[in-house]
Amino acid sequence: MSAPFGKVLIANRGEIAVRVIRACRELSVKTVAVFSEADRESLHVLLADDAVPIGPPPAAESYLVIDRLIAAARATGVQAVHPGYGFLAENAAFAQACVDAGLIFIGPPPGAIRAMGDKMAARRVAIEMGVPVVPGTEQPVADDAEAARVAGRVGYPVMLKAAMGGGGKGMRLVRTAGELTGALRAARSEAGAAFGDAAVYIERYVEDPRHIEIQVLADVHGAVVSLGERECSIQRRHQKLVEESPSPFVTPEMRRRMGEAACRVAAAVGYVNAGTVEFLVDRDRNFYFLEMNTRLQVEHPVTELVTGRDLVRDQLRIAAGEKLGFGQDDVALHGWAIECRVNAEDPFASFIPSPGKVTGLRAPGGPWVRDDTGVYAGCTIPRFYDTLMAKVIVWGPDRDAAIARMARALGEYAIAGVQTTIPILQRIVAHPDFVAGRLSTGFMERLLAADRPEASGRHRTIALIAAALTAYERAGRPAPAEGASGGPAPTPGAWRQALRPDWRSR
Amino acid sequence: MKFAVQAGGETIPVEVAGARGRFTVTIDEERLAVDARETGEGIWSILLAGASHVADVTEQDGVYVVDVAGERYAIRVEEESRYIIRTRGAQGDVGGQVLKAPMPGKVTLIEVAVGQTVAPGDGLIVLEAMKMENEFKAQVAGTVKEIRVTAGQAVNPGDVLVVIE
Repeated sequence: MSAPFGKVLIANRGEIAVRVIRACRELSVKTVAVFSEADRESLHVLLADDAVPIGPPPAAESYLVIDRLIAAARATGVQAVHPGYGFLAENAAFAQACVDAGLIFIGPPPGAIRAMGDKMAARRVAIEMGVPVVPGTEQPVADDAEAARVAGRVGYPVMLKAAMGGGGKGMRLVRTAGELTGALRAARSEAGAAFGDAAVYIERYVEDPRHIEIQVLADVHGAVVSLGERECSIQRRHQKLVEESPSPFVTPEMRRRMGEAACRVAAAVGYVNAGTVEFLVDRDRNFYFLEMNTRLQVEHPVTELVTGRDLVRDQLRIAAGEKLGFGQDDVALHGWAIECRVNAEDPFASFIPSPGKVTGLRAPGGPWVRDDTGVYAGCTIPRFYDTLMAKVIVWGPDRDAAIARMARALGEYAIAGVQTTIPILQRIVAHPDFVAGRLSTGFMERLLAADRPEASGRHRTIALIAAALTAYERAGRPAPAEGASGGPAPTPGAWRQALRPDWRSR
Repeated sequence: MKFAVQAGGETIPVEVAGARGRFTVTIDEERLAVDARETGEGIWSILLAGASHVADVTEQDGVYVVDVAGERYAIRVEEESRYIIRTRGAQGDVGGQVLKAPMPGKVTLIEVAVGQTVAPGDGLIVLEAMKMENEFKAQVAGTVKEIRVTAGQAVNPGDVLVVIE
């Protein structure tokens, strides 16, 4: 196959930039990385063919500055721009700026981003297409008084959502009228900071739902296919931690109906390229359209492993105008795939971010284990961006085999220097509810309420040895830095206890 | 070298001797022959009684956070002599709270005023870091004595935010 493009700029950083670079290289497409001052030594810069500095560390001054990205694309002579996910991936103005500069935006047309980026307009599209939606407002709420009226009409509990949102930011669960004002303030503030638009709307909250989404691919020739579902019910703060495909809850009949609904929504807005239609699913297997993400998802690899399709490669081919080359009947799901997100966060302190230097790192490997990473031993996780470091993805012939493989892979993953979600991921995949496929978005709250770091586990002696040897070896070094000695608190710092265990939903 | 090791609310005497991967570690008077290698900074391979273990050690706020086979321990290690001096000279619990920033971030909201009385669990301050808002709450009942930051201000780890008496 000939290369779809000569050269592509990746307007992103971290593991997704690395992922796109890898697909490009396999297609003999040259790559251009962009980087802020905080990312000079980041992995995507090391792996790309060209690398262009685009400004200071804050994303608002670098990765979110459209003019700088377009200038970098022009200066390096690329034909196309891949936005990754996050940052400007769902920004119609950026897609339009690419088009205006004569560049191909590797994603949907600006009109489709606009249609789906406005969550209320997206709801209206779904309703028109006969796809069920969760009851709520079809316009942003103007003020606190209107919010109170709407919430009262829809009925508590309600969910506040950023109109331009995604990724869980600007979302708040409100159980009672008394919580509404504070939650609105927090949701608006987060939405404004994350998306530059503080508009918030209200939806009825579905108790203990599952979050199941459908991957779609569409080409410029009018073909739209669905590539099965991903179950993403294991979340914290509305951000996904563990995803799998297929879902243990979805029957073949349901998969067909959800897939058709997703394709209808995509076709209705003239969608092209890879996209994801998200659904809430209640206990009775009713599904409700949530939103469409007009980009590649973080969790796309699980779909890749069960369908055998390289979604980034497909994105590049579609953007170059090629036909999909396969139809719905050619899509078959083989085996089971699970992804775990390794974030630089402390899962035992409300998942507070843990930026810093990754002093030591040893990634898992072996049969059917994939490590999609943006980090390496010695690199620094900047404090300015998302905490996602890497994703461990495994495949197995069935769900039990995939779970056993994930437990094995997580056990091999050794990271020092920053706190990571690995210990909590290990608990999740070992949990009887997870093993039995009893998943819901409330899973993490229940797990965390019953869980805390070890006081005396099986490996206490080993932990004591490791800690004492670390102090011993450091004491022997010339001019040791401020060590782990002194100070008042023998347990993790007071600020950890000061953190509300789950401040989002009280 | 003798250490006072604090873990899970206990203080355990630990003595370490040896070098170049071969150590004798005495925990609570139990002598253990340990073959331990730091295979990457903070990643230890420990052979004990023929069993192979890997422990990841990360320092955070003066505490070693140690991950072993999915278990996590927060451990403070002090040289014994320093521990004795510190605990002898230690004052009683003053009963207040000095809230410090755990990480770099920006103050987005201050929920209390100087002179205000607070109860445990009351929200004090909201700090935005890595795109998430984190609310910090009072651990103790008392009066807000000082607020050392203003909304919108950037803070660094260790900066005192709020003092409660």
